[in-house]
Formats: sequence, structure tokens, C-alpha cells
Amino acid sequence: MEKPEFITKIEGHGALHFNWQKNKVWLEVAEGERLFEGMVVGRPATDLYWITPRICGVCPIAHNLAALKCVENTLGLKISDSTVLLRKLLLDAQMIQSHVLHLYFLVAPDYLGLDSGLEIIQTHPVYFQQALELKRVSDLIADMVGGRGIHPTATAAGGFHKVPSTEQLRGLRDEAEKMLAAAEGCVHLFSSLNYPEVKADFSLFSQANGKTYEVYDMKFITSNKKLKARSVGFEKVIDEEIKPYSTAKFGYHEGKGMMVGALARLALQGKLLKGRAKEFFKTADIDFQNPYHNNLAQAIETYHFVQEANGILEKLIENGVDSKATELPKEYKPKRASRGVGMVEAPRGGLYYEIEVDTQGLITHCNIITPTVQNLSSMEETAQVVLNQIKGQSKEKIQELLEMLIRAYDPCITCSVH
Amino acid sequence: MGLKACSELVEVFMVSGVEPKPKLAIFDFTDCEGCEVALVSLREKLLDLAGEIEIVNWRLAQRRADEGPYDVVLIEGTPITQEEIDTLKFLREQTKILVGLGSCATLAGIPGIIDKESRGFWYKKIYGEKYKPRGIDALPLTAYVKVNYLIHGCPVEKKEVVRVMEELLAGKAPKPRGYSVCFECKLAGNPCRLLAKKICLGPITQGGCGAICISGGSPCYGCFGLRDSAQIDNLLHTLYKFSDSPEVEQYFSMFLKKTPEYARLFKRPRVKNGKT
Repeated sequence: MEKPEFITKIEGHGALHFNWQKNKVWLEVAEGERLFEGMVVGRPATDLYWITPRICGVCPIAHNLAALKCVENTLGLKISDSTVLLRKLLLDAQMIQSHVLHLYFLVAPDYLGLDSGLEIIQTHPVYFQQALELKRVSDLIADMVGGRGIHPTATAAGGFHKVPSTEQLRGLRDEAEKMLAAAEGCVHLFSSLNYPEVKADFSLFSQANGKTYEVYDMKFITSNKKLKARSVGFEKVIDEEIKPYSTAKFGYHEGKGMMVGALARLALQGKLLKGRAKEFFKTADIDFQNPYHNNLAQAIETYHFVQEANGILEKLIENGVDSKATELPKEYKPKRASRGVGMVEAPRGGLYYEIEVDTQGLITHCNIITPTVQNLSSMEETAQVVLNQIKGQSKEKIQELLEMLIRAYDPCITCSVH
Repeated sequence: MGLKACSELVEVFMVSGVEPKPKLAIFDFTDCEGCEVALVSLREKLLDLAGEIEIVNWRLAQRRADEGPYDVVLIEGTPITQEEIDTLKFLREQTKILVGLGSCATLAGIPGIIDKESRGFWYKKIYGEKYKPRGIDALPLTAYVKVNYLIHGCPVEKKEVVRVMEELLAGKAPKPRGYSVCFECKLAGNPCRLLAKKICLGPITQGGCGAICISGGSPCYGCFGLRDSAQIDNLLHTLYKFSDSPEVEQYFSMFLKKTPEYARLFKRPRVKNGKT
């Protein structure tokens, strides 16, 4: 039976195709279309954040939060300070879960000469224990704050159905502290790897607010190519292109590929890091023109998010969760037909939502731009750069290096198709 | 899942015995891959299981991708494209036991919200006129092949995955829980949604999830599938006391849209403007 050679150890179905005579490479995305933007039309706005986390099982919390922000923006709902903190904590847990899954289970085997992440337990037991610890505690935070880590149940437009008690938060803090040592091990492991040497002049994009290293509350989209646009105008920054060989659209900015995610965030927000994350960033010597360094960037971010989660837990324990966090609106209907947007930085980069609702609160239009849609363009362009730069290697070796390149971007193919 | 199909499972493991280890392959069709993430979240438990079986093909987690035949194939996701449908039929021939993992595979789940008839409209709207779609329709695995066991859930409940795998390894035929979500919801100490005049599909839904959605404050949309001899009409009688048909349909259409029961209750003759 003939079947496409899907790239292993990435989220979803993607395949690299080569024309060796012409030295050309392109990226096929073969995931089936689920048509989420059609699925939600005609349904209540409050179904948005229940349905769209199912776009992606690796970053469902990011989708849940972007959808919540979008619905709140559309319906004009305000949220409390504790709600913001709890959501930031959830997003920290999401970042750690996603980065760790990617780094240890999908990327590390390439560099440690293994077939599967499950083998690391034999070859590198200390690192493997650290990975499990990071996964365990970040899952615990996601479960306790979100109701469930994969596809949250406790979040709602306007706040939370349910919030953890102070006692539960204390328990979480004790666990979260244990992640600090494990995250330090993560930085050490991914600083010690030999990444392929590549130079690509690509454009890095991240949302930011200029004050803190931010993934929840951003104001604008910025790039290393001197762009500064308001986040709400994301549709003007990202042009989606449809390719005959792909069920995912490819996102471009002014005709050029975009790279988003950990490497882009560190390039554009790195100077705002604090504490030990800042030290790790300074000594890491990241090359922002080398896409393989995205993995090193993810490791440093993992430390940052662990550090931030600890800080937020302290704050929540000290001040207590305000009662407004669970005061939800009785009705979710706007005064008039409305449009709204919501965005976060997901583990893989900027995630943007836009909806329109009628006076009954039913969705009449929905548009979602995921990080991997933006990254696909850069992945394909950079794969071409690598293909051009590598000389004197076998086809198998080149193919392997390019698969590692695609994996370095941590593509979420299911997100990209949605 | 009827008991008849399950009884064949016992035989496979009785014959295969202790050695060599049963060969497990995990495949995914169109979906979010959250159920595979749940597998990885089993952590130590996954390693225990991996010690008793041989995972010979798992695209998400390893390069090793052995051809069949296999002893057990887990399939996550909905077969939407022709390639996926062909692969599913091929895998059915390649394995003794085929298990559906998660609601996309077992019910068509969230992708099933889109009707076949309205796909054309949305392809044009989302991808434009020139686009050649790959997806045909979002249907459960059972629309194409015989499946030996269905592990429901969006996502699957980790304990249920472990239970089913352990029972298979012990040569037992796994059975669905003999109670509804209500039973577990009571155990969890949740106030009843129906008494509070909130729509809930818990009474007609198979247990095993631990009532996790209701415990978090969300409704039960029935992602664990309808239980045997579910009293649907009785539930509807209660629901219509405080809600109307479109509202109730909105709940049934979340995960159950491609079930015969949904068709019986809500199927309308035609589709307007792609809205389903």
C-alpha cells in the first residue's frame, strides 16, 4: 500500500517532498479539514471556548484562553484581577507542558541518538526524571486550575466556574517549587546539544507589551524587521495563502515567511526576562538566525514559565482569590450585533481569534489564525536555505537534517489545519 | 460496544500468551491528538504498559514504524480523507484487535458537528473557490470497519485507558461501565444540574469519566457515548420542562451528531446557507 512518508515525532501529519534535480523542497500538510470556523457558526458564543480547544490537544489551554478573551471582548465583559492571574498561571502550565513534551519526547531523541523519547529513561535517567517532574507538576496545575488539563472545564467567559482553594494553592506552590531544579536541568541539557549550524535571515514575530515578558496580555505585534502593529489589527499583519498541496494555509507578512514561537519571543522580549531565567538567557548564546536554536529557546522559556508560575502562586496565596472570579454573567447576549478579537501567545507563537455575534449571542462569523500557519511559511523557506547550504551529504542525511529542522519549529499541524 | 465483539478479544490474548509481547501500534487520523497527549501524560504508567507490550508503530512518539500484522491497533481521530478511510480498512486487516481511542474515533465527536452536506459551503468560504478539498465526511470508525472496543472520551480518561489495556493484557474482554455519568457525579458530590434547570446529558451517558466536566462547572455533552438502553425520551421529557428544542439540540450536537439517535431526534430534511 502506498502511503505518504509523514514526518515522525511532530504533532499532526506533515511530509517533506523533494525535487533533487532542481534542489527544491516543499512541505505538504495532509491533515483532514475539520472546518472549525464553520462549526461554531450558528452556535452560542459561549460554545466557542468549549469547541476550539479541540483544535489542538497539545495546546488546548492556549485556544481556550484566546477564545475566552475573544468572547469577552465581543460581549464587553470585564474580568477580575484574580481571574487574570489564574489564567496566566494556566498559560504558564500550558507552556511548560507543551515545551517539555516537545523537547524531551520529540526533539531529544534526535540529538541523543535514540528512536523514541521513552528510551531516555535508560540512557539519561536523571534528565528523564526531570522531564517527568515538569510534566507531572504542570499537568497538576492545569488540572487544578482548569478543571482538566486537556480541554479545560472550569474556565468561563467572565471568570471561572470554580477556583482552587487557598489550601490547594499552597499544595500547588509546594509542587511548583520542585519544578525549578528540573527546569534548570532542562536548560543544561538543551544548552549542551550540538545544533546544526545554519544561518537564515528570517523574520521573527512576537506579540509584546514592552513592560514584562508577556504571553497573555499583549498590546502589539513586533518583529526584528522593525514592525510595530497593534495586536487587534493582526489580520493586516498576517496574509494567509492557500496552497494546492496543503490543507493548512501558509501565513506571510508582506510576502515573506514568518517565524513565531519561543525563539522569536526571546529575540523580541528576552531583555524583559527576570531572575535566573535572565541569567540563563544571557549565558546561552542563542543564535537568532539559527532555527535549530528554537529548542534552546524553549528550554530557557520553560525556566521562565516555571519561575513565573511560582511567583503567581505566591501572589494568589498572599492576596487570596477575589470573589469576583466566580461571579459569572447570567446571560451572554450583547446589546447589539458585535465583533471582537482575542489573542494570546501560544507555546508555538501568536494565536489570534476574531468572531462576530448577533443580538442573540449566536456566532455569525469566526476567523482563527494559529501559530503554525505563520510558521509553515518560514519552515518551507528555511528548509530551502538548509538544502542550499548543505553540501556533500547523502540524501538520507539531508532528509534527516530537514526533518530535524521541521521538528525544531515544533509544528502543530492539527492547529494549522483546524 | 456489544459484548459479542469483546468476547473475541479474550481468545487473542489466550492464544498469544506471555511470549512474545503483544505488538501494539498507535495511529491517528484527523483530530487534535489530545488523546495521545493523555497517553503521554500517563508517564510512569505508560512505561509500565510499554514494558508489557511492544509499541511497534507510533508516529507521534517514535521513528520505529513496523509494518503489520499487529496484535492491537489503537486508532485516534476521525477518518475524514480518502487516504484515512483506506488506511483504516487496511489496518483492520492487519490487526487482531482494533480499538477506537477517543470520541473522534468512537463517535466522530467534534469534527462530526459539520454535516457532509454543508462541507462544500465551508470549503468555499474558508479556502476559496479554487481549493480542492480532501475531507469527505467526519464519521466514526464504525462507519467503515468492525471495531472491537471503543474507549470514549474527549479526551479519554487516563484511568479508563489503563483499565482497558490491562484487561486486554490479562486476556479479559473489557466492558463499558454499567452505570451512567450520574452515578459518578453523585460520588463527586456535585449538585444535580437538572434540578437546577440546566441541561445535562449525564443520565444517558456511559460512565467512566468521573463526571469531570460537571465537577469543573461545565455541562455533560455526552462524549462518553450513550449507555446501553439509555432512557433518552425520559430525559427529553425532563429537559423540555425548562428548555426548548434548539437549545437541547445544541447539546446533543456537540459529540453525538453522527449517532443514529441524533438523526432520529433532530434530523431536518435540508440545510440552509451551510448552517447545520
